[in-house]
Formats: sequence, C-alpha cells, structure tokens
Amino acid sequence: MTERVWHRLSPRMLLVHPVHEVLRQIPLLVGAVVVGSATGNSWWTVAIVALTIAFGVLRWFTTTYRIETDEVQLRTGVLQRKVVSLPRNRIRSVQTDARLLHQLLGLTVLRVSTGQQVRGDTEFALDAVRVEEVPRLRSILLADSLAAADQAEAQAPGRQLARWQLSWLRYSPLSFTGLAMILAAVGVTYQAGLGAILEHSRLAESGRDAAQRFGVVASVAVFGVVVVLASVGLSVLRSLVTFGNLTLRRDAEVLHLQHGLLRKREHTFDMRRLRGGTLRQPLLVRLLGGARLDAVMTGVAGAGEASLLLPPCPVRTAESVLTDLIADVNTVSGPVRGHGPAATRRRWTRGLVFPVVVAAGLVLAAAFVAVPPWAWIAVAALALTCALLAADRVRALGHRVDDRWLVARAGSLERRRDCIAAEGIIGWTVRQTFFQRRAGVATLIAATAAGVKHYQVIDVPAELSWSIAGTASPWVADSEWARS
Amino acid sequence: MDLVDPANRPSRKAPLVWAIGAAIPWLMLALGQVVWLVVDGGLVWAHLAAAAVTAVGMAVFVIVVPLWRYRVHRWDISSQAVYTRSGWLVQERRIAPISRVQTVDTYRGPLDRLFGLANVTVTTASSAGAVRIVALDSAVADRVVGQLTDIAAIGAEDAT
Repeated sequence: MTERVWHRLSPRMLLVHPVHEVLRQIPLLVGAVVVGSATGNSWWTVAIVALTIAFGVLRWFTTTYRIETDEVQLRTGVLQRKVVSLPRNRIRSVQTDARLLHQLLGLTVLRVSTGQQVRGDTEFALDAVRVEEVPRLRSILLADSLAAADQAEAQAPGRQLARWQLSWLRYSPLSFTGLAMILAAVGVTYQAGLGAILEHSRLAESGRDAAQRFGVVASVAVFGVVVVLASVGLSVLRSLVTFGNLTLRRDAEVLHLQHGLLRKREHTFDMRRLRGGTLRQPLLVRLLGGARLDAVMTGVAGAGEASLLLPPCPVRTAESVLTDLIADVNTVSGPVRGHGPAATRRRWTRGLVFPVVVAAGLVLAAAFVAVPPWAWIAVAALALTCALLAADRVRALGHRVDDRWLVARAGSLERRRDCIAAEGIIGWTVRQTFFQRRAGVATLIAATAAGVKHYQVIDVPAELSWSIAGTASPWVADSEWARS
Repeated sequence: MDLVDPANRPSRKAPLVWAIGAAIPWLMLALGQVVWLVVDGGLVWAHLAAAAVTAVGMAVFVIVVPLWRYRVHRWDISSQAVYTRSGWLVQERRIAPISRVQTVDTYRGPLDRLFGLANVTVTTASSAGAVRIVALDSAVADRVVGQLTDIAAIGAEDAT
C-alpha cells in the first residue's frame, strides 16, 4: 500500500498541543507570572501564555508524515525543521501510548521502532493519530513483517498468555520506585525555588516545634516511618496505574501487550524477531516467589519499559509465558550446570573482601582510640550480610547449553536467567582478567543483535568456555581452530 | 573442545607505535612536572614522589605494556570466521562468523600513517560483536579487507 501525499496528524491535536506546550513551559510561565507581578504589568504574563499557545498550535501545522513504498518520513519543528526518514524494511515494532488527555479525545501516540537505539529527537513518533486509525496504520507500517502473520491469525484466533491480577500488587511495595518518586518531587521543589518558601511555611514551623517537643530521635523515627509508608503507597499506586488491566495476547506470530489504567500503552512484537527472554528476580521480589519477564528481541531495546513483557508476577506465571514463547521448558526452568570450585571461591573472596578490609581498619583504629561496641556489631552484621549474598550468588551461578538455547543464570540482588536462542548469537568472546587466568576461569560473552546485545556466562571454567560456544554455534565447533 | 590461538601477529612495528602513543601523554606529564619544579622548587619530597610515579608509569606503559600486548595480540581469518586475541592484563579472544559481517572499516591514526600501519574493524549486527584487528602493516590490512569483503556476502541477508 502506498500513499504519496503528506498527511497531517489528527486535528484534535490543536487542543492537545497548546495544553502540553503550557505544561512543558511551566518554569517559563512561572517566570512570566513573577515578572508580571513584579513590574505590575500583567501583559507580560498574557503575552507569554499566548505565545506558548500559539507555538503549540503551530506544531500541528508544521508536523506532517508520509508513507511511501520503501520509507516513511516525518517532518517536524516550528523553528528548526527536521525530517526523520525510516526505511520500511527496518521497522521492527509499532507501539502506541495514550496519556489521559489523548484518551479523552480518542487519540493515541504511535511510535515506530527500528533496530537502532534512538534518542528523543530522532524517534519516529506520530503524536497523535485517532485510535480508529491505528490498526490501519499498524498494518501498513508492519506490512512487511505481518503479512504472513495476518493469514495465520485468520485461522487461529488470539490466545491470552497472561492477565494482570490484583495479587501481583504484593510485589510492588518492595520496589524503590516510590522512594525515587519522593526524591524526584523534593528535587523538583527545590529546583523550582520553592524550597525556601517551604522552609518558612507554617508546616515547617510546626514540624520544628514538634521536633523540639518530642526530641530529635522520635521525630526522625516518625519522619522515617512516614517516608517509608508514603513510598510503599506510591509504589503500589504506580504499579496499579501502570500495569492494572495488563494483558499479553499471542496471535500466531504477533505478540500484543496492553497495559495502563490512565495512560494506555499497547506494544506489538513480531515473534519472528524474538531471540529469547530474560527472567529477572530482584532479591525482594524473589523472596515472595516473584519474577519479571523481559523479551530479548532484535529491534527492541534490551532494558526498561520497551522490552517488558510481564511486571513482577508469580514466578510460575512468568515461566509458563516464557515457555509458551520459546517452546522449550528445560531452557526456562530446567536445572543449570554450576561453575565449579574456582568460581565459588571467587564469589566468596569478592563478597568478603569489603567486610574484611573494614574489620581490619577497625582493629587498627582500636589500637589507638576507643571503638564503641556498636561498631563491632555493625561490622559483624556487614560480614554476615556479605556472606549470605556470596552464598546466594554461588547458588545462582550456572549455565545450560544445547544446540538451540544458551541459558546463563547469575546474581543475587538482581538475579537473572537469560535464555538466548543459539541461532541469534553472532559472535563469541572469551575474556579473562589477570585473576581469572590464575583461577582458571573465564567470562564467556555471547554477542547478539537482540536485547542488551551481549549476554555473559560469568566465571565458567576456562576449558569449558569454547565447548559451550561450540555447542551453541556449530560454526565455532567447525572452524579450523577447533581442537577436541 | 578448545580453540587454538590465531596464527598471525600484528606488524613488527606495532610495539614501537604503541610505545610512542603511550609516551606522548607521559612526556607531557613529565614536562608539567619540570615546569612545576622551575616555578616552585620548595617541597623536595613532593617533587621526588611525583617524579618516581611518572618514571614507574612511563616504564610500565611505554615499555612493558606494548611488549606484553605484542605477545598477546594475534589474528586470523578463515573462509568462515574472523578470530582475534587481544589485551594484556585483561585478555580476550573473539570470534565472529563472516556470514554475519555487516561492515569492514579501516582506521589509520596519525601515528599509524607515519609508520604505515592500519587497524581493521569488522562489525556485525551486535554492538558487542565487533572484531578489531589492530596494528597491521598497511599492505596486510588492505589484503585482509579485500579478503573479508570477498567472502562476506554483505547485504545478502538481514544478518541479525
């Protein structure tokens, strides 16, 4: 299908752009209000607001796109004109994303992603088109990759792989997103110059009074509890708003992921670009039997929102979905082969070096000054924590390989199990630091075009490293350098 | 299974070029210290300490490291794959199939041009999979590039 004309985005954006422009220019507008009230001439404020709105309106007039046989083009920019062109055969996935205002007006942002990682200003995003137009645009843009899939879809209706459940919320209080949000809010407040105002406000005054009345320790404790509660509340709320109503559907060769209560997002993955998956289990999520699932795909960034398939959910759900995607149950949940005593020893030395150094420092200090008893307890606690982490890392470390899949498992605080398709591996590196050479171990790195591009098998016995590569990639085993 | 080391060494001039490349920043540092000595000749121990650090650093990076790297660096090309060994303290061996090669680049820095050397970079669709063959004699590098582009069916498939 070819369209040679330049298209405009939905005219409803004439309403959205000015609002977004105003929101984006809030610092400038705050300045305008300040200038307006300082000079006593409110025309300043009016003029700047009007200019901002006009700018927003102009955005609509200056943004056009067209879809040609071999490429798509997007022209944007009011003052700085810019043309983004993408070859159509490079399009790997199409994503939609609708914020609240977009949703009210029946609009959605359509993003096209290619193999490259793009920065904000070179990405191809149609902001925004009517929701009704999305299926048509998607089929045009992905015509290349979905043509075959559409036929299959007609025969086999979509199958739901996973659906968000209220119980998944139990994993969210354990994340740091809430704390991060609080810190970000504090940062923005101070940056906007409101910190000084806040310090003199009645709230701060009453806080200081309370602190004097109840003592510093009690106040700090209360403050800490409040921050923790707020952070837990925000984390739960955020995960509810972002992932509530998440569904993951598979129509033959296409994977549809939909989520978001206020901001609706839809992500379409082409299954033929799937090169595996990563099960991630951050320590706190793992303690509650949870896991999250990332897709390893060519043309999709390996980390963050873009590759997310499932947020923290019961590990059995994540495993069953991944099994469904890669059709190999042993790769997803089968046992892994450990890396032997040298790797174990290295986990322990690494884990215990820090507490040993601290303890030695403390012993040295004790020779000259009186060390309070709580310091010894703290060092003991530190050593115990590090030892537990080391033991957990030893348990995690392992790999599994056959001629179709490479599995690497590692980590404690951020445990991950990478399942990578052997046919997607386009290069192998065996890396040895000085200490690794002495210990007779090596880090094996599989390079792929998908996901985070390199996947590591840490501290594998050196003599095994090329066998693993050779098992997964026949071209390594068949090369003229291979010796059995 | 194991992989034997690749057969070919870099150019004989490689250690010299690496040594000169490393010597330049260290000489600047030494020059800075001489200026410091002239401007402010007090603190004798500080001057001595700084001079000692510079001398040791220079000995390591200008003499030891280039020779060490020369002992480690190897490369080889077969009809199927490119295979290199590189590094000194951290050593790596890297292999990539020629069927997945996307581009073959040559790079000649100012020092390389002075001594007639060239570096060849073979990239694949993975940003982690680029294979670098460094410090080749120009003629060898040209032959390598020709050989690689002949074998590689560049653009024949998606290579991902």
